Parts: sequence; structure tokens; C-alpha cells
Amino acid sequence: MFEFASLEYMKEVQRRSNADQKYRDLSKEETASYLFILEPEPEKGVTKRFIIGYIVVRGEIVDVWVDEPRKTDFVISGKYGVWVDILLGKLGVTRAFLMRKLKVRGNFLKLMKYQKSTERWLEILRTIPTRFHGEYEKFNIEGKEYESGSL
Amino acid sequence: MKAAVFKGTREITIEDRPIPEIGENDVLVRVAYCGICGSDVQAYKMGNYPEDIVIGHEIVGYIEKVGRNVDNLEEGACVVVNALIPCGECFYCRQGRSNLCNSLDQVGITRDGGLAEYISVPSRAIHELADDKDLYKYTLVDPLSNVLHAIYLSSFKPLNITLVQGAGPIGLLTINVLKNFGARKILVSEISPMRLELAKRIGASHLINPLEENIFEVIDSETDGEGVDIIFDCTGAPEAIQANATLVRKGGEIIVIGICEVPVNFDFFTLVYHEITIKGSYAQRIIEYDDAIKMIQKHNIRYRDVITKIVSLDSVIDAFKILASKKPIEGKIVVNIF
Repeated sequence: MFEFASLEYMKEVQRRSNADQKYRDLSKEETASYLFILEPEPEKGVTKRFIIGYIVVRGEIVDVWVDEPRKTDFVISGKYGVWVDILLGKLGVTRAFLMRKLKVRGNFLKLMKYQKSTERWLEILRTIPTRFHGEYEKFNIEGKEYESGSL
Repeated sequence: MKAAVFKGTREITIEDRPIPEIGENDVLVRVAYCGICGSDVQAYKMGNYPEDIVIGHEIVGYIEKVGRNVDNLEEGACVVVNALIPCGECFYCRQGRSNLCNSLDQVGITRDGGLAEYISVPSRAIHELADDKDLYKYTLVDPLSNVLHAIYLSSFKPLNITLVQGAGPIGLLTINVLKNFGARKILVSEISPMRLELAKRIGASHLINPLEENIFEVIDSETDGEGVDIIFDCTGAPEAIQANATLVRKGGEIIVIGICEVPVNFDFFTLVYHEITIKGSYAQRIIEYDDAIKMIQKHNIRYRDVITKIVSLDSVIDAFKILASKKPIEGKIVVNIF
């Protein structure tokens, strides 16, 4: 099981995303860099501000990192629990933007062009065995071994 | 007399010109100092001034001669020249918005300016000063009044969190005034390390080099994820202007002072969705000009951190080259004429 927002987790995200042909096809026009900020929720046992980042070049994730606010095209921030809800499929990512549960810094309209590839990407993430922090541990994702096209 | 003459894109020459004649309502000023403005640098890069005009509009000097009808000024008086000469009669002038005058004459832009030994201007453009050993500091009256105009035009209130995009002379003066006016935080974004250092000295609370740092993340962490209350954009850079849409908080304000050379692709979705206001700010009104003089007289402006170089008229062309570079290594350059 991978600790959510850890480097190992991000490397697994990279591995599974790059192995998924559908994601690659949907994101073949996408070249952008992202920084996700998971705001702490001390009342729920999440005391750390997590930072994760990655770069996509024409649909391939070429770099991932954690804990570093590197220069990126987009910064998307929200409470830790919002990210958990999105990963569990309880909250759609577009709805999260429109409800202002996620804050976007960067060109919002450009980001919206990648809506379909983002949805596919989230499906892939849901296959990763994931251990959350604090009280969110009860929502850990069991995940499954993943092969391209097996979703 | 010697004068710096605008000839077109990236072309300025030092020429010998006749000393200007004065009309009965004019004065002849012997120029002591003239600052090089960002608009002059812009024109140097873009060619958008009339050809053969003597440039320079941030002028201080001494009255050499007064016209027959001028009875409130005397020869030898130390003066600063307001570069804006509005008609005083049009709709905008009557509304007190003389910077939007329908027939605005502008020293060094539409009529001969102050990068010359002498200049002739209507007496109503003259503001008398007490002589000062650091007279060059009054070349900042014009840019400082531009800054005051932008701040008065904004909804700025003490304790606001502000972002100043660009730390050229206008950005530096904006930082200075925001600090005086009680801003809670003054975040400054600038690509020149030298100018960032000046910004720090003047009172910036947080420095950002957007080429090296993630400005979105910095703003996020400095504002608890909300964005800043007001952005003063002094860059004219498309990237900075585009980024502003998501750096300002919901309901916030973007004041654009810097002139952008190209059309900008702006995120109007976020503008509508977050009820953001954008305002352009041009030049100044008389009230801001008077306030700028007072602020300099009362030692509220750190002019030594804004004006970083004083050169002779013969070195003007080199000065323009320095200021037109991508990462200028100077703040304001002032030309000492006599």
C-alpha cells in the first residue's frame, strides 16, 4: 500500500498513467506542469501541508516530485479531505472547481481543456492501493494490480 | 543647445538645437536634471513617439526667462515641470480628469521635452520648489504622481495584502507608497535580482522571482490560499498580466499601470466567476502631482533606492540601452544636464 502524496505514491501514479493507452490518447495534446497543494486539517489528524507535483509532456508524465514548490503552469489547492473525496469518486473534479473547493492558480480555461484526460487519470489513481493520513485512514483504497485497459 | 532627439525605434541622437523661443505665457527653464521614464524606454523599443521630438518629461531646473504675461514666477526660481498640459476646457478637464483630456499636450512626447539644456513650457506647468542639494530627487515627482494616481484609483485600504508586479521605478515607488499607506503585506514579483534587492530595501515584505519560484504557490502560502486583495501591475508583461487573474482574491482588484506591447490572452472566465475588477491607470491629475511634491519634500520617499544612476546627456544613448534590456541592472536613471 502506498502512502498518499509520498514520492513512492507519485512514482506509482507516473508508472500506471504512462502505461495506460487511453490516458495517453486523451492527453496527447497536453503539455503542462502541475503542483497540487493538500491543505492540512489538524482537527482530522492531518497536520502537514502536502505538496505534490508532476510534468506532462504530450501525454507522458515525465517527472514527479513531492514537498517542493517548483515553478509550474498550475497550482491547484484544496483541503486534504477534498482530495480524498475526489479520489474516492464522491466529488467530481470539475464540480470541485466550480464549488470553489479547489482553487486554481494558472489559466483556468486551459485547464478545463484537459477535463477528459483528468477524469481518466483519476480512474487510474483509484486503482492504486492508497493509505491516507489521520482520520481519513478509514477511507484507504484497496486498489488492484493494474494493466492497461483493465479498468 | 544640446538635446536628445527621438528618431524612431532604438534610435536616439544627441543634436545641436536652437534654444527654444518662449511665448508671452511661457517660461524658459534651464534643465538641471531629467529622469528617463519607462514610457520613454517603451517608445525607444516600440517607436511610438513622434520622430524628431526632444524626449524627456521628468524635469527639474531653474527659470531662465519668463514671458511678458507671467507675473507669478521669477528668473532663477527652482522648479519642477508637470509634463501634462491639459486644455482645461474639455469634458474630462471639467470633470477633474485632466489626464484624460481630449487635447492633452505632453512634454517630451507631443512637444519638445527636457533631455536638453533648455525647455520652453507654459507657466501653468511650473511648480516652484525650495532649492535642494539633492535636487535630482524631484525628477521622481512625475512617476510618483503616476503611482499616487493608481493607488487613489484603486480601492486600497490600510491592512490590505498587495502584490506589486514589477520592481522598476514605478514598482519601487508603488512599494514605497503602499508601505507609507499601511499595507499589511507588500509581495513583490520581479525577474531582475538587482531590482528585487531594491524592493527589499524600500519595504517589500516578500520577494518573488517568477523565473525561479512558483509565484502561484508563494501567493497561496502568503495569503492562506485566498490570493491578494489588490495587484498593482507595473510590468506590461503579458505573462504577468495573465497570471494576475488567479493571483488576486475573489472580489479583488487589478490595477494596470505598465504598458503592454501586445494583446494579452486574459482569463475572463475567472474574472467573471471571481468578480475581479481590472482598471487601467494613466499618468496623473494635478492633485496627485501636488501630493507627490509634498511626499518628496517631507522625506517620505526613499529616492536613493529608486534612482540608482546619474549620467550626463552624452551618455543618454547607453542609458536607454541599459534600461531596454530584458533584465535591467538599474532602477531609475537620471540625466544631469548642468
